[in-house]
Amino acid sequence: MTASLAFFDSDLCVKCNICTAACPVAAVTDRFPGPKAVGPQMARFRMPNHPSVDPSVAWCSGCGVCSRVCPHGVPVAEMNIMAKAETHVGPIQSLRDWGLSRPAEVARWSRPVRPLANAALRSGLLRAAADRLLGLASGAPLPEVAPEAFHRRRADLVRRVPERPSGDRGTRVAFFHGCSTDGYEPWLGEMTIRVLQRLGIDVEIPPQRCCGLPLQSNRDFEAARRYARANLANLHPWAERGIPIVGTSTSCTLALKHEYRAVLGLSGPEVEAVSESTFDFFEFLDQVLQDRLADFDPVPVQRRVLYHPPCQLRSHRVGTPALRILRQIPGLEVIVSRAECCGVAGTYGLKSERYDVAVKAGGDLFAQARQAAPDFLLTDSETCRWWIERHTRVPARHPLEILAESLGLENLRPTAGGD
Amino acid sequence: MSSSLLIVGEGLTGLFSAVLAARKGASVRLIAEGRGGLSLSHGCVDVWRQGDSKSSFRRAGRNHPLFGLSSAALEPALLEFLQLMQEAHLPYAGDLDRVLRLPTALGSVHRTSAAPITLAAGTLDDHAPFHLGQIGGMRDCWAGLAAFGLRSRGVDVVGTIELPIPERARDVYAHDLALSLEDPSYRDSVCADWTRRLKGVRRLGLPAVLGQDHSIEVFTAIEERLRVSLFEIPTLPPSLPGLRLERALRRLAVEAGVEVIEGPAVRGEVDGRSAGKRVSGVVGTTAGGPRVFRSQAVLLATGGGLHGGWISFANGEVQDSVFGLPLDAPEDRDRWTAPTLFEAQPYARFGLRVDPQQRPCDARGRPYFENLFAAGGILAGADRSSEGCRQGLGLASAYAAVQGALS
Repeated sequence: MTASLAFFDSDLCVKCNICTAACPVAAVTDRFPGPKAVGPQMARFRMPNHPSVDPSVAWCSGCGVCSRVCPHGVPVAEMNIMAKAETHVGPIQSLRDWGLSRPAEVARWSRPVRPLANAALRSGLLRAAADRLLGLASGAPLPEVAPEAFHRRRADLVRRVPERPSGDRGTRVAFFHGCSTDGYEPWLGEMTIRVLQRLGIDVEIPPQRCCGLPLQSNRDFEAARRYARANLANLHPWAERGIPIVGTSTSCTLALKHEYRAVLGLSGPEVEAVSESTFDFFEFLDQVLQDRLADFDPVPVQRRVLYHPPCQLRSHRVGTPALRILRQIPGLEVIVSRAECCGVAGTYGLKSERYDVAVKAGGDLFAQARQAAPDFLLTDSETCRWWIERHTRVPARHPLEILAESLGLENLRPTAGGD
Repeated sequence: MSSSLLIVGEGLTGLFSAVLAARKGASVRLIAEGRGGLSLSHGCVDVWRQGDSKSSFRRAGRNHPLFGLSSAALEPALLEFLQLMQEAHLPYAGDLDRVLRLPTALGSVHRTSAAPITLAAGTLDDHAPFHLGQIGGMRDCWAGLAAFGLRSRGVDVVGTIELPIPERARDVYAHDLALSLEDPSYRDSVCADWTRRLKGVRRLGLPAVLGQDHSIEVFTAIEERLRVSLFEIPTLPPSLPGLRLERALRRLAVEAGVEVIEGPAVRGEVDGRSAGKRVSGVVGTTAGGPRVFRSQAVLLATGGGLHGGWISFANGEVQDSVFGLPLDAPEDRDRWTAPTLFEAQPYARFGLRVDPQQRPCDARGRPYFENLFAAGGILAGADRSSEGCRQGLGLASAYAAVQGALS
């Protein structure tokens, strides 16, 4: 069933190469023949659930640019993610990918030994060993686990089902915080709640698991579907009542909107309702809260920032809502990134065998960041944020942090080295 | 007066309109179901294939969309375009007073009004004989074929020269070579080898692979290194001259504050409160289902039928693909096409009729909506391919439509 989409839609491809010219990976390595070549062109040689005849599809980073720029509606990236799931991977890489695709579990298990785990991340020696033995790139940024999970810290807002409406309709959201906020950056979740509350929105936290996107990217569709079904069951009560599901991690919200249907092949009323109720944080502000934002007298933010819309955000196909809101902040000078992708594409750049290609793919953005020398680089995805900061040394922030500043809210980001 | 403009389509017309409107201070969004065909194109500005002067396309008659645009819009639009390209470090040569004759990869002669200077250097009016370079391993531009065709048209092609490149792990596209040649060390190593093979060569045509975003630097560096006069010939897609133009325009647009929304297919939305007189924006198919994109004015830059600008139905009706506005088309479908493929096709002239402000209108000239505008390939009456007026029409009508929408 999952293969049907790719099989039919490959016939829509006219081989125009618009995707090839836009692909950030094919531009930097000859090992990837490009999205058209490994996708619609190669699809006719593939059988569903059989190993891919050409392993070069494994070089696809899954950034999704090809699908977005295709003028004929060919789901190139989706086809390639499915084909990639059928490629052969050795035992060591499988072990590493098992860990990389379970950020929630990794946070939970390492929390009891947190000082040790975080020290290990900082140890050049151990990282070099992990690079050689496990294929975990030593140059890849990995987040430190936080002392307390976000959903425990804000247990007061966790609900199994939506509460009866306390005020008028449309003043409440379900917050999908994702694994990174839950396990590694709970302060960002706290800031999200404060910004929403400042704008008069009640926040509820539905029970949730990892969105499953890392599992999908790392070829474990079965586990990804289990996570997806659990999330759909958990989130549907909110979607059903027309309560928006809002997330600050743009790849998680994309998974809820798109990947469950288009890649994992889930169908039915639950997945439709959840997809259509989900908003990325700034998309929600732009689509639903513009009037309330206009009522605010924003605090000027005298900074120069470089805004990079992540490839995953652009796959939402809603443009760049954060940019629309940032431009309303007085004093803020916003430069816009020219790059399609920063290279990391989720977990792709964290792997030793892909690391160099991922760094090269981000080269244009890194050069622009160094040349523009902004105070901050802003981007809506945590993996992009960590990756770009590592490679440019420009402090990278979620655009929400700047919005919070203009709303007169405190930044809760821990200072370097502390908690 | 509108202060926000939503442009549908990311081809030359859409991108050029976006830059113009944003620079006039409008809040501009450009929405497109995928990128337009610029990267498939030669990157030149064709205004009128047959004519050598700006008035010659008047012979096309009153029903041709360029007829009304010629005096007020065409000249300023082209000037604006040339200035923008200068600013984007992608300088063009040409004007409306003469025609540039340029060699093509198939060995035919392309008559155009303006071209990137790296292509314009190949003008056939410069009668200096030239060689054509065959870059090893590149399938998409074959020097032998170009030389054969050009010679049969009386052009003095001295010969073809094999110019090898280091072996690569896969087939190379023009785009791959362009990116490699932006790397000075790669450039130096291939030039060192090529110099030896170019003894006695004074003028050399190469496939258009000399750089992507830094084409002038790459072109100049290679020309100095090889000590020959170079020119480029556009290749099969991805075609660098078109891709460079697309990237330059998108960069200018984003820098001017345009928000580019790529991906959604769109349907027009009529403003119900205006008694059907105005449009309010479009509904787009986003990853999370339909979302509304509102604007004070909408500009259709959706292209012709082959580009998605209009669609036909089994009952013979033809409609623009966003608002479903009716297009004139003969009921007898046999009259839509010419008997053979390689001649002017009647369907090429299908499109939206517009009023002097570039608003789609009915047969009596009454606009369907006060704030809906159209430009480029979706306009009725032009056969852009056989008349060779594609980019001229796009630029001129974009210029007029932006004036209409923002005045």
